[in-house]
Amino acid sequence: MQPFALNYARPAVESQSTVPYVYDTGLQLNVLFDGRVAARDLALLREVGTTTSTAGSKTHFDD
Amino acid sequence: MTVLILTSEEDVTADMVVVHLNASGVPVVRLDPADLTGGVALSGEFVHGRFRGHLQSAGRLVSLSGLRSVWVRRPGSPAARAVAPSTWLTEEASQALYGMLRGTDARWMNHPEAATRARHKPWQLRLAQRCGLPVPATLITTFPQAAREFAERYPDLVVKPVSGAHPQDPPRAVPTSRVPPDADFTAVAFGPTLLQRRVAKRADIRLTVVGGELLAARKATPRDADPDEVDVRFASSDVPWCAAEVPPRVASGVRSYLREAELAYGAFDFAEDADGTWWFLECNQSGQFGFVEVETGQPIARTIAEWLARPGPEPRARVDDSDRTVC
Repeated sequence: MQPFALNYARPAVESQSTVPYVYDTGLQLNVLFDGRVAARDLALLREVGTTTSTAGSKTHFDD
Repeated sequence: MTVLILTSEEDVTADMVVVHLNASGVPVVRLDPADLTGGVALSGEFVHGRFRGHLQSAGRLVSLSGLRSVWVRRPGSPAARAVAPSTWLTEEASQALYGMLRGTDARWMNHPEAATRARHKPWQLRLAQRCGLPVPATLITTFPQAAREFAERYPDLVVKPVSGAHPQDPPRAVPTSRVPPDADFTAVAFGPTLLQRRVAKRADIRLTVVGGELLAARKATPRDADPDEVDVRFASSDVPWCAAEVPPRVASGVRSYLREAELAYGAFDFAEDADGTWWFLECNQSGQFGFVEVETGQPIARTIAEWLARPGPEPRARVDDSDRTVC
């Protein structure tokens, strides 16, 4: 007896790839493995999709 | 004066704002409440009629009185990563952190009370209507018969979660979906269901509002788009988002909306119909903006940084050690 809206649910797509940056507590920013700030590389952000409107859906209401 | 950012480490969208704050020399402390009581610590004392408090994270110490603004971006649940996490500890940590922050004069983007209220879809629709924004006919119900009658009046419907949340057990996505004409509405009885008249759209609009600044982006719907692909977040279209002008009536409406909602930030979703009317779908009080900036080049992160960096309000009247009011 599942709610009506769940008739339209689909499996969540989990990203299989790891992001090419890591958080630097000193800078308070994510940095690429070559030391550059990830947020300055917009082409990369577009590629990894971590700024898209479904990126935060797993733990947050707001897209 | 410091900008406090509450978000997760992996939030690279927040990084886009931090970069601008760094460039303008504004002190920033970024922390995730989930790291209480590991990497994040807090203390506050109420003595002799004064309140003094501070936060510590990754070697940075900030006085609560030294906060100019608080950006609640993508914070984890308080103390979620504590050594012995529990629902009780999360509530304790939440009350301590947000309670102390509420006692500061810092400006909020967005204030927790306003944010909580603004997440309610029925409240959003009512407010949008009151602010002069067109809202598609909508029904939220647990009565199957009400759903059937609504479908007779509006044969072309979509269904979407009332909360906007996605189920996690097991993890599933619930996109806004078109309801077929022969749908069986019996299951409406098993959970509140939001049905809405489908807007035959020629474009999706994401309007990001920061303070009084409006930054709109438009994504055209391809002529050969599958009409069953309603939710732009899950559509396969590779049409880019482009910067767009905001119609004056919409601009006035969304400013009223944010003012009445007491929000400093809102990401509005509209569906643009064939006549060019922007139909209000929702306002995400913490909606994503990174993908819009990446595609359009609009300076959303910089605008947020400028809002956060503004000087805080003048200190309020306070009570000194002898309980006399000092202005």
